[in-house]
Amino acid sequence: MKWGGEALVRGATAQFAGVGRLRRALVLLAAAACTAAALLYWRQQSGDRAHRPIHALYTEVEPQWSWVCRNYRCERLLASEMTTLQSLQTCNMLCDSTQLWPQPTGPVSLATAVVPVVIDGFSLKIVSSPSKEVSDLLSEAFEMMKDDINMQEEDDDIRQISYGSPRPVVVRVAINGSADPRMRLDTDESYKLFLRPVKKSLIVDITAQSFCGARHGFETLSQIVWRDPYAGTLLILEAATVVDSPHYSYRGLLLDTARNFFPTKAIIRTIDAMAACKMNTFHWHVSDSQSFPLRLDSAPQLAQHGAYGPDAVYTTQDVKTIVRHAKLRGIRVLLEVDAPAHVGRAWGWGPAEGLGHLAHCIEAEPWSAYCGEPPCGQLNPRNPHVYELLERIYREIIELTEVDDLFHLGGDEVSERCWVQHFNDTDPMDLWLEFTRGAIKSLERANRGKLPDISLLWSSRLTRSPYLERLDPNTIGVHVWGSSRWTESRAVLDSGFRAVLSHVDAWYLDCGFGSWRDSSDGHCGPYRSWQQMYEHRPWTEESAALVPGIGNAAAWHVMGGSACQWTEQLGPGGLDARVWPRSAAVAERLWSDRVEGATADVYLRLDTQRARLVRRGVHAAPLWPRWCEHNPNACL
Amino acid sequence: MFDRFIRKKFIVVAVMASGWVALVLMAVNIVQSHENNGLEDIVPPIYEPSWMYKCLPEEGCIRSDEPHPTTNNVTNLTFNSLDICRTVCGRLGGLWPRPVTAVLSTRTVKIHPNYLRFDLEKVPVEAREIMAAMTQVVGSNLLAECDGEVTEVVETPVIVFISVKSADTSLHWETEEQYMLDLASKEGQITVYIMAETVYGARHALETFTQLVASEKSDYSNQKKCGLQIVAGARIRDRPVYRHRGLLLDSSRHFIPMTDIKRTIDGMAANKMNVFHWHVTDTHSFPLESSRVPQFTRYGAYSAKEIYSVEEVKDFIKYAQIRGVRVVIEIDAPAHAGNGWQWGKEYGYGDLAVCVNANAWRHLCIQPPCGQLNPANPAMYRVLRDLYRDIAEMVTKPALLHMGGDEVFFNCWNASEEITNYMRQKNYEISLNGFIDLWSEFHEKALQAWDEELEAAGGTKQPVMLWSSELTQVRRIQQHLSNERYVIEVWEPVDSPLLEQLIKMHYRVVSVPKDIWYLDHGLWGVTKYSNWRRMYAHMLPREENVLGGEVAMWTEYVDKEGIDTRIWPRAAAVAERLWSDPSASVYSAERRLQRQRGRLLARGLRPDAIAPGWCEQHDAKCL
Repeated sequence: MKWGGEALVRGATAQFAGVGRLRRALVLLAAAACTAAALLYWRQQSGDRAHRPIHALYTEVEPQWSWVCRNYRCERLLASEMTTLQSLQTCNMLCDSTQLWPQPTGPVSLATAVVPVVIDGFSLKIVSSPSKEVSDLLSEAFEMMKDDINMQEEDDDIRQISYGSPRPVVVRVAINGSADPRMRLDTDESYKLFLRPVKKSLIVDITAQSFCGARHGFETLSQIVWRDPYAGTLLILEAATVVDSPHYSYRGLLLDTARNFFPTKAIIRTIDAMAACKMNTFHWHVSDSQSFPLRLDSAPQLAQHGAYGPDAVYTTQDVKTIVRHAKLRGIRVLLEVDAPAHVGRAWGWGPAEGLGHLAHCIEAEPWSAYCGEPPCGQLNPRNPHVYELLERIYREIIELTEVDDLFHLGGDEVSERCWVQHFNDTDPMDLWLEFTRGAIKSLERANRGKLPDISLLWSSRLTRSPYLERLDPNTIGVHVWGSSRWTESRAVLDSGFRAVLSHVDAWYLDCGFGSWRDSSDGHCGPYRSWQQMYEHRPWTEESAALVPGIGNAAAWHVMGGSACQWTEQLGPGGLDARVWPRSAAVAERLWSDRVEGATADVYLRLDTQRARLVRRGVHAAPLWPRWCEHNPNACL
Repeated sequence: MFDRFIRKKFIVVAVMASGWVALVLMAVNIVQSHENNGLEDIVPPIYEPSWMYKCLPEEGCIRSDEPHPTTNNVTNLTFNSLDICRTVCGRLGGLWPRPVTAVLSTRTVKIHPNYLRFDLEKVPVEAREIMAAMTQVVGSNLLAECDGEVTEVVETPVIVFISVKSADTSLHWETEEQYMLDLASKEGQITVYIMAETVYGARHALETFTQLVASEKSDYSNQKKCGLQIVAGARIRDRPVYRHRGLLLDSSRHFIPMTDIKRTIDGMAANKMNVFHWHVTDTHSFPLESSRVPQFTRYGAYSAKEIYSVEEVKDFIKYAQIRGVRVVIEIDAPAHAGNGWQWGKEYGYGDLAVCVNANAWRHLCIQPPCGQLNPANPAMYRVLRDLYRDIAEMVTKPALLHMGGDEVFFNCWNASEEITNYMRQKNYEISLNGFIDLWSEFHEKALQAWDEELEAAGGTKQPVMLWSSELTQVRRIQQHLSNERYVIEVWEPVDSPLLEQLIKMHYRVVSVPKDIWYLDHGLWGVTKYSNWRRMYAHMLPREENVLGGEVAMWTEYVDKEGIDTRIWPRAAAVAERLWSDPSASVYSAERRLQRQRGRLLARGLRPDAIAPGWCEQHDAKCL
C-alpha cells in the first residue's frame, strides 16, 4: 500500500525551485572562480598565491548530498545538482522496504507520505487497561518512547526544506488481556498498530493483550518517526498498519558480569538496545568463579569475598533499578548464580564462620586439573549449609527480579575430578544429580513452596543420556549451548524438554578473539558475523536432519534462543560494539524467523536499526563503510 | 589537613571493623559447636572488599585471600593499591615499553603535581617552547591517574632537570630518541635528572617518569580520595630498537573525528610510538581539505561536518609532535582514489579518475566503490600537484609522504578507451607489462611533482613511502623504483619472502604483516584475529634497512566508537616489540601490559580487556 507520495514531491519541488536557482548560480560562480584560480596557478608555477577555501561558500550552508529513490534503492547525488532535497533518512523511510526491526510477522502497510511532528505533540490516551499498574507503566513507557524518538542530535540540522507545520499525534492504547505487566512465560506479546490522519491530527491505535505487547507497539511507532536533518524536524509516516507477534517467546541476551565487571549504566544501555529490538530476556550471568559482584542482603559475604573491589558491586538498589527499567522495556531479568561449578573465592568464608567448606578446589592449582579456566571452585554438595545459602540467594533473586515462573540454575561444566578428590566413595555424576535435586528443593522453598514453571539448566553431561532420563521434563528446561552440529539439542527436545538455544558456533558473541591465556586460537573461533548469526535457524536444520519415523519434531518445544556475551576478553569500553548490531540480528531471527537469509533488504533495515541504536547512545559497530550507508545499492 | 584527618579516621574504623569481625567469628564458632544451626545466627558485617596486594618479585602482584586490609600484617611489599604494587614490583615495575636497563627502588614517596617543577635551563633556547609543551602533558597525565583530582596534598618538591643536547626539533628517522633518567629522593625532595640528545628523547623520558607514578586508590574503587606515589629511586637507560614505530588509521572508510584521532595519539605517546600513518583518503571519501583544490572535500567528504580543515590538520600535526609522533599523510594513488576526484568533467578537465563508483564493481576493483586515477589525463597530475603542495605546506620538515601505490586493478584502466589510447600512443603493450609500465610512469611523475612542490614549500628532497604491490615484486622493483627514493611498506603475510628479498636488494622497509599486525582482521571474511600475544610474539629482522613496523587500523567495519578497543592494548604490544624487541616471554610482559592498559583507561582511552579481572589481580595465576 503506497499512497500520498506524489503530493509530497510536488509540494517540495514548488518550495525549492527558488533555492535551486540560487544554488545553481552559486555553483557556476564557484566553478568559474575555481577554474580561474587553477589556470592562474598553472600558468605561473612558482609564485605564491593568495587563495581562499572556495568550498566554504557552500559546504557550510547547504547539504552536500541529496537522495532519490530509484529502483527501490536510495541513490546519492550532489545536492547542488538537484532541484529538490531529500535526506538519506527520509529517502530510506520512503523507498520501498519497511525500515522496521525486527520485521513484523503480520501484515504491514506503510504510507509514503510524511507528516512533521514535534515530540511534545505526542499524547497518550489509555482507552482500556486491565489494572492501574498497567496504566501507570504505560504512561512511563510512553515517556520513554518519546525520549527514544527525541534522542537524535540536532546539530546536524540544516533546515533547508520544510514539510509544513507539525501535527499532533494522539496515541490510543487498549489492553484487553493480562493485568500483570511482567514479562511472563504466558505473556501474549502480540499487538496491532493502526495510524491514520484524522482532520488536523494523527491518531495511532495500539491494541494489545498485555503491557509488554503494547510496549512493543510503542517501539514500532518509534521506528516510523525519524529526524530529518534537512528539515530540522521530526517526521512520521502519515499512515501505517502493523499486525505483529513474535515467533519465539524467549528472545534473550546473556551478559557475563563476573569475568569482567560492567557498571549499572552499561547494563541499562544494553537493556535499552534489547528493547529497541524487541528482545525480552536479559540473562544476567552475574557470578562465576572469578567474581561475585551481586551484594545480596541475605548473603552479603558472597560479594564481600567475591567482588573485585569496593565499587565492583551491584547493590540490591542497583538491581532494583535495572529490573524496574527492564520492566518498562518489556524485559524480564533472569539472574543466574551459576552452581555447582563456576564458583570461587566468594564461597571461601565457610570455615571462618564455622560453616565448613561451602566449596572445594577454590583457586586450586594446577587449574587445568580441576576446571575449564582459572580460577577453580565447585560447591560442596554434601554441606547442608550450601543448600540453605542457595535458598537465601534464590529467594532474594526472585524478590528482586519479580520473576517466579522461570529460573536459571546454571549447572554447567562440573569437574568430576574435583569432587572425586573429596568424595571418592561416590560417583561424581550421582553427586551432581544429588546437588541438582538439592538446589531444586532450595528453589522450591525459596519460591514459597512452588517450583517455577521452568527451571533452566545449562546443557552438560547431566542433560545427556543416561542422566537426562533422571530429570523431570515438566519442571526442567535445557539451555543448550553446545555446537549446533551436536546431537544434544535433538536428544533434549526429543525427550520432551523445553529448550533455549545458544549454540556456541552461532550465537556466542565472544568467539573469534583467540585464547586469552596464550596465543592459540581459543576454543570457539572464528568470529561469527551478523549475517551468520542471522541465518542460523537450528530448528529447520534439525528437522531436515531427522530420519523419518525417528524423533518427534512436531512435539519439540523450542522456547527460543539467546545470544551470549561472555566477558573473559571484554570490558565496559568494548561492550556495545561487540554485542550490537549482531544481537539485533539474533533478535529478528527469534521474533520474525523469516525464511530469507541476510538479503539486501535485511542489510538496509539493519543499517537503519544500527543508526537508530547509535542515536540512542548505543555504540553499535557499523555494518560496512559509511560510503555504503550513503550508497546502499552499490554495496549489495 | 582535612584529608589527613579523614584518612586517620578511616584506618581506625578499619581496625575496629576487623577486630569486630574476629569477635563475631568467635561467637559464631561457639554457637556452632553447641547448637549447629549456623546460618541463621550470623549477622554478617557489611563492608565492601578492599583487597591487599602482595608483590612476589618473580610472579607479580597477588591479591590477598581476605577481602579486608589486614593492618597488623602490612609488610614492605604489601599494598592497598594494585597500581602501586605493579609500579614497584619486579625488575621493570610498571614500565611499558620496557627500557634497556632499569633499576627501581621498591619504596615509594607521596607526591602532588602542584609541587612538580621542570628545569629547562639545559635545553637549547630554540627547543624550549616545544619542551615546555611536552612537560605540560606530564601534568595532565599525572592528574589522570587520580581521575582529574589529586586530593591528598603533600608538599614534597619534585624537580625535574632536563638536559637536551641538540637544538634541532625536527622529527624523522634519524632523530635520536635515547635518554637517561635518574631519580633520587632525599631530604624531603625528589630530584630527577633527564639527559637526552633531542627533545624527543627527553619526551620519552618524561613518559617513563609518569610511569613511575601511580595512585593509591584501591582497584575498582570510585572513591574521590586519591593520592599519588612515585618510586623513590630509579636509574633508567633507554633507546629504541626500531626507529619507525607506527600506527595506521584509515579515516576514509569511516570518518574519524579529530578528537578521536588525538586520543589515539595520546595512546601512541604512552607507548613511545612515533609515526602516525594517516590513511586519510581512499575511494570511499576524501575528508582532507585542500585549500588549492576545494573540490576534493566538496565532492568527496561524507558531509560538510566530516572534513579535516587545513587549520585542524596543522593544529593536529603540532599536537602529535609535542607527543613525539610524526604525522605521515598518505594520499593513496593511483588506485584507492575515487570520491573526491569525480568532478573533472564538470570543470572541463576531463576524467581525473576512472571507474569511480562503477556499478559492476566486482570487475573493476576489490571492494566498492571503485576508482583509479586517470594517468592519461595531464590535468590529473596538475591537480595531484596542487594537493601535494598543500600537504607540503602543512607537514613538518623534513617531510615524509606516503604515496600509497597498492592494489592497482588493471581491468579498470583497461575499461577506459582514453587510457588504452594513451598507452598505444606511448607504445605500451595492452597487457600486464604495459599496465605495469603505465603504473610505474604514474609513480615517476607523482614523485617528481612531490619533489618540486616540496622544494617550493621550503623543503628538501626526501624519500617517500610506498605500499608493496605487483610493482615491488623482486623481478620488477629495480626497474621501476629506486631504493634511494622509496621506502617500501611491506604488508604481505608473514610467510611471504618479499620482506627479506627487499632487504637483500638494499631497500629500506617498514613491515606490517597483514595476518599478524592488521587490527581489523578476524572480524570479516576469512581473516583471523591476532590477540596481543600473537602480535607481541612476532619479531622483525634486526637489520639496518628494517626501519620498523606498523599496526594498521582499517575502518571498513569500525568507526569512532569502536577504534579504541580494536587498537588498544594490542598496539601497545607491538609498540614494545618495536621499541624494546625483548627476548623475554610474552607471559612476563602481561602484568606490565595490564598496568599499561590501566594507564590508557585513566587517560580517557577505552582499551579492550585482555583477561578476566581476576587474572589481573592474580599475576601469573592464569597461565
